[in-house]
Amino acid sequence: MDAQRLAGIYRSALLSRRFEERLLKLSMEGFLPPMLHPGAGHEIGQLAAIEALRPDDPIIYSHRGLAYMVGRGVPLAAMLCDISGRFGGTNNGKGGIMHVVDTARGIYGESGTLGGGLVVATGMAMALKKKKSSSIVAHFFGDGGSNRGTFHESLNWAAVLKLPVLFICENNGWAVSVPTSASTAVEDIADRAAGYGIPGHVVDGCDAEAVYKVMQEAADRARSGLGPSLIEIKMVRLLGHYATDPQAYREGFDAGTLSDPLTAFAAGLIASDVLSDAAIQALEAEIAAEIDAAVAVAKAAAPLPAELAYTDLYA
Amino acid sequence: MRTITYAQAINEAIAEEMARDDDVILYGQDVARLGGIFQVTTGLLDRFGPERVFDSPISENVMVGAGVGAAVMGLRPIVELQFADFLITAGDEIFLKAGMWRFMHGGAFKVPLVVRLPSGSTGAGPEHSTCPEAYVMHSPGLRCAVPSTPADAKSLLVQAIRDDNPVMYFEHRLLYQTRGDIEDDAASLPLGKAAIRRSGSAVTIIAWQLMLQRALQAADMLADEGIDVEVIDPRTLNPFDWDTVIDSVKKTGACVVVEEGYRSLGVGAEVAAVLMERALPWLDKPFRRLAIPDVPLGSADALVSEVIPSTDAIVRTVREVARG
Repeated sequence: MDAQRLAGIYRSALLSRRFEERLLKLSMEGFLPPMLHPGAGHEIGQLAAIEALRPDDPIIYSHRGLAYMVGRGVPLAAMLCDISGRFGGTNNGKGGIMHVVDTARGIYGESGTLGGGLVVATGMAMALKKKKSSSIVAHFFGDGGSNRGTFHESLNWAAVLKLPVLFICENNGWAVSVPTSASTAVEDIADRAAGYGIPGHVVDGCDAEAVYKVMQEAADRARSGLGPSLIEIKMVRLLGHYATDPQAYREGFDAGTLSDPLTAFAAGLIASDVLSDAAIQALEAEIAAEIDAAVAVAKAAAPLPAELAYTDLYA
Repeated sequence: MRTITYAQAINEAIAEEMARDDDVILYGQDVARLGGIFQVTTGLLDRFGPERVFDSPISENVMVGAGVGAAVMGLRPIVELQFADFLITAGDEIFLKAGMWRFMHGGAFKVPLVVRLPSGSTGAGPEHSTCPEAYVMHSPGLRCAVPSTPADAKSLLVQAIRDDNPVMYFEHRLLYQTRGDIEDDAASLPLGKAAIRRSGSAVTIIAWQLMLQRALQAADMLADEGIDVEVIDPRTLNPFDWDTVIDSVKKTGACVVVEEGYRSLGVGAEVAAVLMERALPWLDKPFRRLAIPDVPLGSADALVSEVIPSTDAIVRTVREVARG
C-alpha cells in the first residue's frame, strides 16, 4: 500500500474522529439530538475497506459512525443539516444522521433494523449482475446484525447466484450491552462463510494494509463473477452504543485503557516516515477549520418545515 | 373481445411486460421450472430464460428485501410469495423496507417492486389461508391491488409493474380458474379507481375478489325480494377510491362491507370510520360488516365455511339493513 493511500486513510479517519467529537459536543450543547452511534475505534478498518473499492461501488453502511460518508466525500455540512433537521441535508428530515444518502458518491443508505441491509445489498448486487455492470456492492454490518436470519438468507442466496457483493462484518464484540460471547456460538463470524461455500476472512481493523489487501482480493473475486465473500474486521468500540451511553455493563471498563487504533496508526505512519508530527499538527488545524466551516453552514441553515412530514413517500 | 381465466390474465400481464421491458424480472419459490405451484407462471422460464425467471430458496426475507434492492438499482422485480400469509414472514422487508426505504432516504430512490400474494382459503390451515390485505392498507408507502376479474387481474398487474412504487398484488386462489371477458385495446381504469359492478339504490355493498362474487349473487337474490343493491369493487385498497364509495352512500344511505380478512381493524372498520367522518348525514341505516370473526382459519371445510362470509349471510345482513 503506497504512502499516499495510507496518508489519505489517516486524513479521513482523523476527520471522521474530530467530526464525531464535534457532533457529540454539539449534542451536549443542545444543538443536535443525541442520535449518533459513535464510530470511534472503527474508522481505520472502515476506511481501509472503502479504499479498496472503486468510487462507484455502492455502499449500504452500518450505523456506527460517519467514516463511510467521510471516506466518500459527503459534505460535512450536509450531514450536520441531516442530524439537525435543517435545509441542506440529504434526506429532507426523514432519516436524520442514520440514513444519509448520496448516490452520486455511492452512498445508498442504511437499514434502520439491524441486519436489514443484508437483503437490500443482495438485491442491489442482483441488479448489477443483471445489468452486466462491473461495480460491486459493499455492505457493512455488525456482529450483532449477523445474528439476524437475514444474514443466513442473504449469504446463502448471494452465494447460489454468485452475486457481486461483499459482506463486511464489523465485529467489535458488543451488541449494545450484550457481549458477543453471550450471543454468538462462534468466536469468528467469518467461520460461517464455510456454510455458504464462500471465502471467509478475519482481519484486524487496526491494520489498514491487511484490511485493504483482503478487501482487494475479495473485490477482484466478486468483480470477476466468482461471487460474494464474508470479511470480518475485528474492531474496537471505544465509546458507548449511543452518545451518552454510561456503559455500566462493560465490567471494569476504563476507556483510558483501550488502545486507540487511530493513535496506533498515526504512530506507525510516523515511524515509517509517511507522516511527520508537524504534518499531523497541520492536518489537525486544517480539519478543525473544515469542521468549523461546516458547523457555521448548518447553524445558518433554516429549519425544515413541518410540511415535509408528507413528502417523499410515494414516487 | 376474448375470454380468459384469471390465472391466464396474470401470466399474460407478466409475459407482456417482460417482453416490453428488459428490466422486469420474476422470481419466487417454484415459479420457474414448475411454473408456480398454482401454475400461474407456466412457460415464462422457457420464454425469457433463467436470468430473468428463476426459482428462489425458501427465504422470504431476502426474496422481498432483494426485490427492494434490485428495484433501487433500476430493475422492476416481480416477487411471488407462495401464500399471501407470508406477507408477515417478510414483514421487515415489506413494511419497513419496501414501504419506507424511499421515505427514510428523503425520496432519493424509487422502489418499483411488485409482490404477488396468492390469498384465500383452500383448507390449507391457519398459515396458508388468509386474505391479509388490511395490514397493507394500514401501512404507509405500499400500494395494494385486489383484482376481482380477469380483465382487472391483467390491467392492475400491468400497472403495478409499471408503477414506480411498491405494489402488493393480492391474487385470490379461488378465482384462478374463473373466466371473464377481456378487451385487449380497452383503456384500463387506473389504480385508485373503484368499479361499480352493479347499480342500485337501497344499500351499498363493498366487496372484492371471492366476496365480490358472493355479493353479486346475494344482490341477484335480494333483487327478487325487491331490494335494489349497489355493489362496489374497490379494485385497490391503497389508493382507496373514497369518492365513489361516499357518492354511493349518499344515494343509498346504507353500507355493508364484506371482506375475507379478520374483523377487528379490518377494511370494514376503516370504511365505517371514514363514513362517520365524511358521510354521517347521509347514513340512514346502521353500518354493518361481514368478516372473519377474529379466529384463525382452520382446515376442515365445516370450520372454514363457518367463518368466511357466505352468500346467505350477505343476503340476511343486507335484508336486515334494508328493512331495518
